[in-house]
Amino acid sequence: MKIETMFRHTREAFKSLKRNTWMTFAAVSAVAVTLLIFGIFLVFAFNISYMASELDKQVAIRISLSQTATNDDIDQLREKIENDSAVKSVDFIPKEDGLKRMKEQWGEDEKFLKGLENDNPLPDILEVQAKNPQQTESLANKLSKYNFVEHVDFGQGVTDRLLDLSGWVRNVVLIFGLGLAVLAAFLISNTIKLTIFARRREIEIMRLVGASNWFIRWPFFIEGGMIGVLGAIVPVTVVLLGYNAVIGILGAGEAYSFFKLLGMWPLSLYVAGITIILGVFIGVWGSLISIRKFLRI
Amino acid sequence: MIEMHDVYKVYGNGVKALNGVDMKIDQGEFVYVVGPSGSGKSTFIRLMYREEKPTHGVILINGVNVKRVRDWKIPYLRRNIGVVFQDYKLLPNMTAYENVAFAMEAVEAPKRKIRRRVQEVLELVGLHDRMSALPSQLSGGEQQRVSIARAMVNNPSFVIADEPTGNLDPENSWDIMYLLEEINAQGTTVVMATHNREIVNTMRKRVIAIEQGVVVRDEHQGEYGYED
Repeated sequence: MKIETMFRHTREAFKSLKRNTWMTFAAVSAVAVTLLIFGIFLVFAFNISYMASELDKQVAIRISLSQTATNDDIDQLREKIENDSAVKSVDFIPKEDGLKRMKEQWGEDEKFLKGLENDNPLPDILEVQAKNPQQTESLANKLSKYNFVEHVDFGQGVTDRLLDLSGWVRNVVLIFGLGLAVLAAFLISNTIKLTIFARRREIEIMRLVGASNWFIRWPFFIEGGMIGVLGAIVPVTVVLLGYNAVIGILGAGEAYSFFKLLGMWPLSLYVAGITIILGVFIGVWGSLISIRKFLRI
Repeated sequence: MIEMHDVYKVYGNGVKALNGVDMKIDQGEFVYVVGPSGSGKSTFIRLMYREEKPTHGVILINGVNVKRVRDWKIPYLRRNIGVVFQDYKLLPNMTAYENVAFAMEAVEAPKRKIRRRVQEVLELVGLHDRMSALPSQLSGGEQQRVSIARAMVNNPSFVIADEPTGNLDPENSWDIMYLLEEINAQGTTVVMATHNREIVNTMRKRVIAIEQGVVVRDEHQGEYGYED
């Protein structure tokens, strides 16, 4: 298609947006609300997965020791680990302490654990902290090969739960967001319907003189896409300004070791990009509904 | 060339508009299509520019079977056909010039070519000094001339006119007829449905008469043949 033609289509689309001011406003608002929710979720999602990966690196390595290990074996192993240059500290948690901790966690349900004192099934544990959090994983892999080491884990529990949470939030947002997106698309399709109606004479003449089907359709797609982009501008701005403020209060990547937030860059690029693309998608989808239903070519 | 072979048209509501039409119009001919209201005249005309599809039978436009043409190719078929209506169908917010140029813009003609060609056809229809007038500022005859200019601007090989003089007084009607005759003289085929007895009987061109969906008369230098 020629640039000239594209300009023409864009001009037509703009004209129509102006002609149906209130419908345009309603459609843009609906897109904006939808995308605001998506935008906030995106920021959360990016941060949660970031935090999870950070936590993975930070948490202690728990080594479950073989039941057959004697105290001497354990001391030797402990010494060997402490001498590793990558290790910051090593704590020994005997199985009695492990049971005590478990009882504390279980609270009322502690009665189920009664009687276990005499025949404690829990392993003794060595808790190892890496000097450099980034090395936690490689250190854990190394430790798992040592004698009397039965099992090694490092924080999957916490990060898994965090990821579970984010998955759950994602599902809720997806269902809710999908509903809103349908509503927004419906409002857009109504705006486009008005445009098709307002331009029905032009369309009739275009058909008669042999304008190609795409020549006739393009302005409506552009109009829908523009509604999507306009609807994305507000939520992108709000989400990014809001996030910037949150970072200002909590501090990105410092202050709290747990709430390690992503910086503005490149997060803002991702959020803006994804949100705008989604807006255009909703807009074009809305146009498509009306074009298929009302544009007789 | 336009050919119809055993063409039937039955509308969705069961109305049988055409019941087996056979005819052939050669390139460069001038043909009147006459018949009482509800005779199938309009359907006959609409089939020619593929506004309707035949229920049965074959329609060939320059050898192309219009029923077989894929939907996306129909626009290209229509570029070869100019259509003129009783009610002009001009866009009210565009000037005469813009109305004609619109037809070229819609087929993505280059800008420079548009300017030259639009002026040329507006001159042909005698409106070169009314180019910047809106339809509301033009008389009925002038509006119809703009619509003929629009039909001609893409150099079609056929002009199909559905009662082009239906809303005009005799004087303006004759102006339109002279114009169509001139267009025909330049080699464009003209097919015109009409109720205007005086014009048909005076100009003595080929006449196809349609009644109850069939061609009942097809004469060269024919007459209108109906009492109104």
